[in-house]
Amino acid sequence: MKTLLIKSVLIAIVFAIGFSSEVFSQSLTGKQIVEKAYNRSTGDDQTSDLTMTLINKNGAQRVRKIKQFTKDLGEVEKSIMFFLSPADVKNTSFMSWSYDSDQSDDQWIYLPALKKIKRISSDSKNDYFMGSDFTYDDLGDRKLEDDTHKLLREETIDGKACYVVESVSKDKDYMYSKTITWIIKDNFIGNKKEFYDEDEELLKVLTIKKYEEISGFWIITNSEMKNVQKNHKTTIVLNNVQINTGISASKFTERIMMRGL
Amino acid sequence: MEKLLKKLLNAPWVIVAVIIIISALFFMQMKQNSRMETDLDKYMPQDHPAFVYSDKAEEWFGINDGIIVAIENQKGIFNSATLDTLKQLTKRLQKMDEIEKTDVTSLYTADNIIGTEDGMDVKAFYKRVPESVEKLNDLKRNVENNEMIFGRLVSLDKTVTVIIAEIRDDVFTQEFYEEILSLAASYETEDIKIHVAGRPIVEGTMALLGPADMKKMVPIVLLVITLVLFITLRSIKSTLLTMTVVFFSVVWTFGLMATVNIPIYAVSTMIPVMLIAIGVADGIHLYSHLQLFLRKTPDASKKEATLDMLQHMWKPVVMTSITTAVGFISLLTSQVYPIKYFGIFTAFGVLMAMIFSLVLIPAGIMIFGLPKVKKSKSNETNKETNLAYGFAAKVLKRKSVSIFATTAIIILSIVGMQKIWINSSFLDKFEKDSEIALTDKFINDHFGGTTTLNLILDSEGEKDIFKNPDVLKLVEKMQNKVENDLQVVGNSFTLTDYVNRMNKVMNADKVEFNTIPDSRDMIAQYLLLYEMSGDPENLNKVVDYDYAKLNVTFQLKSDNSKAINSAIAKIDPYKDDFEKHGITLNFAGSGYKGLVFTDLILEGQIMSLILSLIIVIVLLSLMFKNYKLGLIGAVPITITALISFGIMGFLNIPLNTTTALLSSIAIGIGIDYAVHFIEQYRINASKSDDKLSVAQKTMAHSGRAISFNAIVVIAGFMVLIFSVFPPNRELGALVSLNMFTSFVGTVTIMLVLTYNSNVYFKKKNNNASNN
Repeated sequence: MKTLLIKSVLIAIVFAIGFSSEVFSQSLTGKQIVEKAYNRSTGDDQTSDLTMTLINKNGAQRVRKIKQFTKDLGEVEKSIMFFLSPADVKNTSFMSWSYDSDQSDDQWIYLPALKKIKRISSDSKNDYFMGSDFTYDDLGDRKLEDDTHKLLREETIDGKACYVVESVSKDKDYMYSKTITWIIKDNFIGNKKEFYDEDEELLKVLTIKKYEEISGFWIITNSEMKNVQKNHKTTIVLNNVQINTGISASKFTERIMMRGL
Repeated sequence: MEKLLKKLLNAPWVIVAVIIIISALFFMQMKQNSRMETDLDKYMPQDHPAFVYSDKAEEWFGINDGIIVAIENQKGIFNSATLDTLKQLTKRLQKMDEIEKTDVTSLYTADNIIGTEDGMDVKAFYKRVPESVEKLNDLKRNVENNEMIFGRLVSLDKTVTVIIAEIRDDVFTQEFYEEILSLAASYETEDIKIHVAGRPIVEGTMALLGPADMKKMVPIVLLVITLVLFITLRSIKSTLLTMTVVFFSVVWTFGLMATVNIPIYAVSTMIPVMLIAIGVADGIHLYSHLQLFLRKTPDASKKEATLDMLQHMWKPVVMTSITTAVGFISLLTSQVYPIKYFGIFTAFGVLMAMIFSLVLIPAGIMIFGLPKVKKSKSNETNKETNLAYGFAAKVLKRKSVSIFATTAIIILSIVGMQKIWINSSFLDKFEKDSEIALTDKFINDHFGGTTTLNLILDSEGEKDIFKNPDVLKLVEKMQNKVENDLQVVGNSFTLTDYVNRMNKVMNADKVEFNTIPDSRDMIAQYLLLYEMSGDPENLNKVVDYDYAKLNVTFQLKSDNSKAINSAIAKIDPYKDDFEKHGITLNFAGSGYKGLVFTDLILEGQIMSLILSLIIVIVLLSLMFKNYKLGLIGAVPITITALISFGIMGFLNIPLNTTTALLSSIAIGIGIDYAVHFIEQYRINASKSDDKLSVAQKTMAHSGRAISFNAIVVIAGFMVLIFSVFPPNRELGALVSLNMFTSFVGTVTIMLVLTYNSNVYFKKKNNNASNN
């Protein structure tokens, strides 16, 4: 388990945009495109209602509703999440502090039935976020320098002009041999991404179903990750997104975790 | 019919040419289209409720059989060399095409979730192989403290650790097995031994070994049969022509199978066995008649001799073949497709053997000439005849001996049959000292067991029932009961183990918290935590998405039916308790399917035995136009079947798919003897009123041929007793036994009964008086 942070939004997933207004006359390199996507700003803090739906190959669903708060404090990004449903896990909360440096994330969990806060430490890199099809890396923990990026081509999908960039992992043991991302030219939002496993076979497909401009920032509010090998998928939908409301840094404490919403 | 056969005599070359051309075509089909079916799931009727449920459960929980690779180091496994071997082997297995990466489990891939004073720690046991004593000790301590690993992936004496690689049913091939074996062997050192076991290996090897052994043994069987056939018929020409009939009938049968695109199943390898045993009979009876005719009329031309042979013998040959074929067709009542196919194709082969015997053998005689009958042998003829006459006289003089002996044997057999047990085990089919059996025993000695039985608790859609502490406690109680009461159950595994573990972890790893908590919310929150911190795939293997279905895996140290049934019997009393929660008990997995499958085969087998017996009686009654003879004709086969089952009971040979099918052979062959004998008796009775002389003549004619037939086939099948594959040995011994009892039954008790029934004499007397 890595960062419990669903970075602001699924910014995550996301490869944020630099400034959409920026138009380059000369063509960008693959690395520059990805950099712009990664550095796309999504605000300093964010509050949202997150609905995560896991759907297995038989069509059975697990739906979880979560209230989440995130704040970028420069060197550290903090997030806190409260489970709203299902009822039997209501008020279970998670807090995560993830650092820009190489320091590993700090994580805490509060189980209301146990009435105790526990620190969680994990050394696993490729962990899936909350049993979903997203790994923490997919949700934005991936660093630009971890891959070699190459612009394959430019093409239009879903009526949007995109750069198609291939990113090959420098670490041979990484769970993805490569990813291919369709990045929208206008705003540097990743529109679609394919993940290839160690044997270079297609493993997962991420599809961005909706992104909205909220308080001047482009926020992805509906995305779906499908594991094509296991025929399992996860959708994440954000509602009531509020940006830069000035969440206090003191929100991210054990006391708040226990108190609940 | 007779006319047609006679006409065909004029064109022997045409017949031979036509048969050879068609055979060549079938042979080409065989070469191109024949394929073996080794996936045992394909054998099972897909629409049977037990299989339907089991298949669904396998789908829900990803239940697959695992290959077990055990790494043994007598000095203990917690040293760098052994741990490195474990890591390398795990990685190599993960990279194999036949194995999904995530389906490989070992200490190297497992997560160690441990509790600390202030939190929880999720770690791999090791990624880099630990070198220092300190780190090795840490690892050892971690393993010892994790009840989900200790005793499951690492043996309690710490000398063995296992890698489990789950594979789909259909990927096993000989090459794959050899690849794994050579991979394992390549990592062996002086200290480190590597063993490979698991049901896919056992099943796969069995599916390959049986037919492979047959392939080796059948030529030897054929050779011996040819040899003995030569000794009894004393003619190379006759021997070769008889064997040609068998050979062509086998080629046509398998050729047809390939043409209609039906794969060769394990049971299909019994078809040549059946056709050899049955196919030689026609030839023997034809030649035996021919010899006797030539002895009486040495100057007959080949055409005269052949005509006489056909005239006298075409009827019994047709009758025996049809009754035999019908006996096999009765296997269509089976629910198991490979057995249906076995029945149909064997019946086809039998009929082909009949046609070849009636067409090819006469054609052969026309082309190659009559077999030489040494005239100087008249002495021997007399000896033979005297022997037959004497034997018949003795049997009829001391009828009570036959009747008493038969009664005694029937009673004894029925007693023996009580002891018969059904065994669906695959392992029991291997020698006790074979590599596979020894490896299996080794792993069973160190771990829970190599055989799994899946209990599926199903609330029929009631969501979240398996978060209910009462239900989980009941599950745990049942697990403990079954594990403690039954030696053969090594351990069990399900959601309770995860909940216990999480409860302990969240309470600073204190042993007293290794229990199911009382609060339902607590359970739900632990499970959520596990999902987020452990591998959620693990949970999917024990519980479904809605927490409405639970998979409890029991590990058994034996795959035989007694072991599986004992576990089911222990689980059964909990039925009512679970029912109160609206939960039903179901079983799944390959071991359970094997059990149900064997029952199905036997059920079908018994059904078809009874059915074929009835059909045979009816057919015989029609053929001989007398119901009494129908009943009498069925006596030898009934005795044969009874003795066969009785002896299996006494010798503790379990009923399984191979041994159960043998009763078909009893009918197939036994009926031939009876039909030939009764038909000859009828012919003789029509010429004479002397009952004793009729019996004696029949004995000298049919009795002679039957004894040849029995000797030839028994000699051939005794060869299988030297097979390396125990089921094939059983097959050889039991076929020989069946031939022997059929033969003895026909020439003793059946003769006595026929004699006493007075059937043909009464009729004649009536006719005489009418006139």
